[in-house]
Amino acid sequence: MNFAGQVLHWFLDPANWQGDAGVPHRTLEHLAMSGASVLVAAMIALPVGIAIGHYGRGGILAINISNIGRAVPSFAVLVIAVELFGIGALPAFIALVALAIPPMVTNSYIGMREVDPDVREAARGMGMRERAVLFRVELPIALPLVMAGVRTSAVNVVATATLAALVAWGGLGRFIVDGLGLQNYPMLFAGAVMVAVLSLAVEFALAGAQRLATPAGLRSTTSTQKEETAGTLDPAGIAA
Amino acid sequence: MFASGVFGAVEDPWIRWSWVGGHLDVILAALGQHIQLTLIAVGLGLLIAVPLGLVAWRNSLVRGPIFSITGILYTIPSLALFSMLLPFTGLTVLTAEIGLVSYTLLILVRNIVVGLTSVPAEVREAARGMGYRPLGELVRIDLPLAIPAIMAGVRIATVTTIGLVTVTALIGEGGLGSLIYDGLLRDFKTPLVVGTVLSVLLAVMADLGLAGLQRLVTPWARTGRAA
Amino acid sequence: MRLERIFVLGASMVALALVTTSCGSTGGPSSSASSSPKGTITIASFNFSESIILAHIYGGALKNKGYTINYRDKLGNREIVEPALLNGQIDLYAGYAATDLDFVDGKQGVPLEAGSDAQANVQKLNARLNSKGVKALDPSAAVDQNAFAVTKAEADQNHLTKLSDLSSVASGWTLGGPPECPQRPFCQPGLQKTYGLNFKGFKSLDAGGPLTYAALKQGAINIGLVFSSDGGISANNFVVLQDDKHLEDADNIVPLIRSAVANGEVTSLLNSIDAKLNTPDLTGLNKSADVDKQDPADVAAGWLKGHGF
Repeated sequence: MNFAGQVLHWFLDPANWQGDAGVPHRTLEHLAMSGASVLVAAMIALPVGIAIGHYGRGGILAINISNIGRAVPSFAVLVIAVELFGIGALPAFIALVALAIPPMVTNSYIGMREVDPDVREAARGMGMRERAVLFRVELPIALPLVMAGVRTSAVNVVATATLAALVAWGGLGRFIVDGLGLQNYPMLFAGAVMVAVLSLAVEFALAGAQRLATPAGLRSTTSTQKEETAGTLDPAGIAA
Repeated sequence: MFASGVFGAVEDPWIRWSWVGGHLDVILAALGQHIQLTLIAVGLGLLIAVPLGLVAWRNSLVRGPIFSITGILYTIPSLALFSMLLPFTGLTVLTAEIGLVSYTLLILVRNIVVGLTSVPAEVREAARGMGYRPLGELVRIDLPLAIPAIMAGVRIATVTTIGLVTVTALIGEGGLGSLIYDGLLRDFKTPLVVGTVLSVLLAVMADLGLAGLQRLVTPWARTGRAA
Repeated sequence: MRLERIFVLGASMVALALVTTSCGSTGGPSSSASSSPKGTITIASFNFSESIILAHIYGGALKNKGYTINYRDKLGNREIVEPALLNGQIDLYAGYAATDLDFVDGKQGVPLEAGSDAQANVQKLNARLNSKGVKALDPSAAVDQNAFAVTKAEADQNHLTKLSDLSSVASGWTLGGPPECPQRPFCQPGLQKTYGLNFKGFKSLDAGGPLTYAALKQGAINIGLVFSSDGGISANNFVVLQDDKHLEDADNIVPLIRSAVANGEVTSLLNSIDAKLNTPDLTGLNKSADVDKQDPADVAAGWLKGHGF
């Protein structure tokens, strides 16, 4: 049987779909951990980024936190988390939250800053209170970039959750790490394919969500152009 | 949990300077390997991305597929990508470099296209009016004006690559990642810290260095906004 | 003018790359400066300290006799290392008599025949491997075999001293070990066959390394595979359960070497090292590396010096 056949055989083997070590459980584990980390990170990062962008203070930090985040290898963050907190789901979770925060802070900050000052002025001129300006004018305009940040973080997290299998966690990375240890290349390849598919699925789903979140009037090439010139557009994130 | 060392009750401080002093050769070798892997990846990435970018710029039919494929490569997590190569290219530098180069492509191609697209039409008209042939125009007008965007891409690609090189420790390479991995395997914090700190420093210095390079190469942009 | 600047900068970056490449970078495996007339021997080790120490003990002694040594440390587990020996990518590694024999038998599809006599195990290894250009030399008295440990609290609570004590609790317990444990006759399948233990679950960790130790300490697993010569067992107050039904066989250290490299001098040198190595030595060496965080290579050098190699 050639290699492709072996991989197919692995996928077709019902034993690989059962129990805690089976594909469904590992996939759910992976998604749950990724979702939870992005959610918690968003609860921390979005208010911070939006606030900094709204008040216009601390911009240098907001821009550079993403660069610093990109400079820290996610593999190292994981191992350090394990040294601090032991093995298992908790250190993986903490590491993933830490990794998810920077892109969301930076992108929401830039999103808020990109709001045309004239529009802000007009809103204030119309008599809107600050909070209304924020929620009814700035946020909707900034939303595409905010979503881009969430998207970047989400793909980063799904990728790094793969690595967490190295520190005794589960998830789809388990098939890769165990495949490496057992020299079971069909399992290794199958695991890699599943992780790749999951990442792409998350990326597309959130890209769709981003497009939906873009107010109809802004739904054109303008938002992507802004992201590109800002130099921070990570269309798919740093796949660690 | 690990703070007191898993293997025994002996305290394992976050950094043992005696170990650093005694292992400078190992540390420098790891650093050298890391730089080497990065330079090869970004260099090869540029070599592939420039023609791809030029084609994508000119040919709108091909642009979509090029971005889609490089985008897919970018989204696949590094451990997965390296693993998919393993059965075919083995535990070698080649495997590491194929993976690393793949990750640079999207950023570089996209920024090359954005850079070239942003050359104002009037400038290109003027160049043609002055008698520039297409190749001359490309090399003397379009590419230089695209440099800010291209350099921005090179900076992001370089910093990203420096981070990803650490993952290659799992397929027998590693650079500074082998120090991090050693720290994990032995529950030994010092190489972990040294590997991490040096990796971050390397990324920061590379970014600053490339920013400086960009300034040098685009003197006309110095009074403008920072890229 | 602009163009020249670009070219100059490009050239200097290329130059920088070449300079970095030529000095300071030795890539993954470490190697000596130049080849000697006696030739190069490539020694591999598994990814735990004891194996690295043994590789450097063998290598250090050979180096002192004038051979050039190429180390491939932490190459992987046996699934990676043994094939590498058979196809000549490496020349030598420190094997474990019973486990290596069962591994070879398993691959060849013959019944497993490792027993508790080290010499017999080595003879059988040679019978299987000589035709493939590999030799097993003399086994050492030093033994490191699979052992199963629980925390002291667990042992006290359930009154555990030996593996057969586990029959009442195994079905609710999680076993932890390296990824290959569910496939190795001395690991999970062996526990099932010899002791009738069917664990609730298995957690894939590492080969008696920090992950397994942490998992035991944290209670993520109830029982974990460790190695009998591990330096950290007593330091962590773990209790190794006695192998009363003799699942584990004679896993004496034995050099597995390509016949082409095993000339008279190499063979007698390695055999004399094996004669002097013993289990307390191993445990002490492991402790220095794993607990005291000394370099396995340095630890090996210390042993060589102390024993006149």
